[in-house]
Amino acid sequence: MVGFITDIENMDGIAYYARPDLTLGAGFGTAISTQGGPKVQEALKKFGSANVTDVVATSGENLKARYILHAVGPRFQEEDSEEKLRKTMLNALRKAEEYKLRRIAFPAMGAGFYGIPLEVCARVTMGAVREFLEKAAELEEVVFCLRDSRELNVFQEHLQKMRG
Amino acid sequence: MAQNARSRKADKVVERMGRKLTRQMVGSLVGCVHCGMCTDSCHYVLANPDDPTYAPAHKADQIRKIFKRNFDWTGRIFPWWVHAEDIRTDADLEKLKDIVFGKCTNCRRCSLNCPMGVDFATLNRMARGALVSVGIMPEGVAIVSKDQWEVGNQMGVLPQDYLETLEWLSDELENEFKDPAARIPIDKMDAEIVYAINPREVKYDPRTISDAARIFYIAGENWTMPSEGWDMTNFGLFSGDDELGAAVAQRVYDRVIKLRGKKLVLSECGHGYRSTRCEGPNWSGKAVPFVIESSVLTMLRYIKEGWIRVDKTKNKEVVTFHDSCNNARSCGFYEEPRELLNLLVPDFREMYPNCAENFCCTGGGGAMSMSEYTPQRLKSAKIKADQLTATEAKTVVTSCHNCVDGLSDVIRHYKLGMKVTQLVNLAANAMMIPEKVVVPVEVPIPAVALPLAGFKILVVDDEPDILTFLAAVLEDQGATVIQAVDGEQALALTVREKPDLVTLDLSMPGRNGGYVFEEIRNNPEITSTRVCIITGKPELRRLIYERPVAPPEGYLDKPVNEDTLLTSVRMILELKHPHGNA
Repeated sequence: MVGFITDIENMDGIAYYARPDLTLGAGFGTAISTQGGPKVQEALKKFGSANVTDVVATSGENLKARYILHAVGPRFQEEDSEEKLRKTMLNALRKAEEYKLRRIAFPAMGAGFYGIPLEVCARVTMGAVREFLEKAAELEEVVFCLRDSRELNVFQEHLQKMRG
Repeated sequence: MAQNARSRKADKVVERMGRKLTRQMVGSLVGCVHCGMCTDSCHYVLANPDDPTYAPAHKADQIRKIFKRNFDWTGRIFPWWVHAEDIRTDADLEKLKDIVFGKCTNCRRCSLNCPMGVDFATLNRMARGALVSVGIMPEGVAIVSKDQWEVGNQMGVLPQDYLETLEWLSDELENEFKDPAARIPIDKMDAEIVYAINPREVKYDPRTISDAARIFYIAGENWTMPSEGWDMTNFGLFSGDDELGAAVAQRVYDRVIKLRGKKLVLSECGHGYRSTRCEGPNWSGKAVPFVIESSVLTMLRYIKEGWIRVDKTKNKEVVTFHDSCNNARSCGFYEEPRELLNLLVPDFREMYPNCAENFCCTGGGGAMSMSEYTPQRLKSAKIKADQLTATEAKTVVTSCHNCVDGLSDVIRHYKLGMKVTQLVNLAANAMMIPEKVVVPVEVPIPAVALPLAGFKILVVDDEPDILTFLAAVLEDQGATVIQAVDGEQALALTVREKPDLVTLDLSMPGRNGGYVFEEIRNNPEITSTRVCIITGKPELRRLIYERPVAPPEGYLDKPVNEDTLLTSVRMILELKHPHGNA
């Protein structure tokens, strides 16, 4: 779908592509801190920092979603970006299972500002979701909430390939 | 051999440079004869005549030597002969960052004056893009870029806030004209005009949106504003990130196509005009199936064709006009704003040089977001300040939101006592309301004491947008507001003016907010001054509360909205809410 991830309804959790220092920062971080309230950042402080591929969960506080999965993915062409992105996705999905979330939403993980090519993002993240859902116990639905038709077209093309 | 010695980031930078070497780029890389013509055209050089590192040719050489070492045969074989040199470490990249972001606003004045046709600004932008791709950029550039990628506009205005702003502006418009049709149409299909704006208008200057709406309403235009893809600015132009440039432009185009709009009209913004009208189709690689025009042309057409009538005597002040670099130099757009201006004011005085030769406002190229370079930017602004002063005008008109902020900063720093406005404001003010539109008669309202009347408040922030916002909100409530742009000024004004309250930014060049706060607390003369910390870096909060002095009376995280600010200020000043609540 095309939409704004903090505004979509009926999600148990949403993913946020987090920084290693777990500071919410700009972009979707602005939306989370503005709409979710200061307690989200406060909750993140107890984790200190995190390594790439780590995922930590906090309450969504005032957001529509109950939980936020803060997933620290690879950034700016760092080494082994593709494999690290796959691990980050799988860790986020595991965290969702651990919290017994049934419906979760992801943005285009790492694409855009952090420079993961959109095609790589679609292939790796959708591939990880398919791999994980086959054995998931709690998770029923994963939504990719994208920002524009440019992102949507690439994800749809890849979905077609997966089906084909 | 050289490649093996490079850091991964340096390797990626060189790799990206190789992908960006178009004929235009290579022409500029090999064409320089070091004649020195560019030095006299650069405001950084003119303000720093003893520092050759500001010379455009010198700055270009820092990029050129990497090109020669890696892509030009002479530099690969005889590096010592042609001054070729590789970039190897992350420290080298940081050094290059300070040159390409901190010593140039990409204004292109040197490009225009180069007899060899070297377009240094294009090289500089390419180098910026290469650095951004490996995550090396000023913090402000990172924030604005991420906001535009993810939220959809470069000021992080959330969808709901944008729509709510248009809603209350519509309510005001409807009330002003007592006409339910006098509203801002959102996502109206098949409109003649789809109007896209700069997010600064929503966040800091909604008056420009309502002025445009008044003009469209009186002209009887069939127009609309989009709920998505409404940001016509594009930080990709400044950061050198072509992917961002393409994505942002495509979002705007897609929305116009979805709404089946006939024409896209862009509000007054120089880099937005260049990005959306001129560069966007190149970045996105797609043709645009509708007309794109500046609102300056729209307003001019309305007046010349009689859609609206204006009375120029309503704009009494003496004005001068500042050409935006992107409008005038990069797009050749400078005659039309003057034609419109002459219809709107009785006394217009040119500044010199002007049009394509005008000097940058010094806030271009994203410079306003890079606070670490503010001191050198303001030093270079001496050229602009002298230019403004020589006009003897009290108002400077510009057709660019970025220039509004850049000029406001120059005017404040050099104490020029001028104000800045835009053509849309002058047009709305000069517009004659036809008789068929019923305008309510103003009923005198008995004066009511404003809640902050009698209080003196010092606002401290190095970001001019934020300073203007804070001052406007507090002044509207009756406070006497003093402004400071750095720590030293803040301390001096606190001692001299004894304000009732200081709102204090933490992250500022020079003496930061934490230092200022501790100095206030340790100075017996001003120790009881009430302080409200306002910061965009919540992680710095600990540094304030861990200081061995009494804590501040208030603390707010940016972004701050009007309600939150006023509630906090009233609480700190121990005022009752105007409606009776504590």
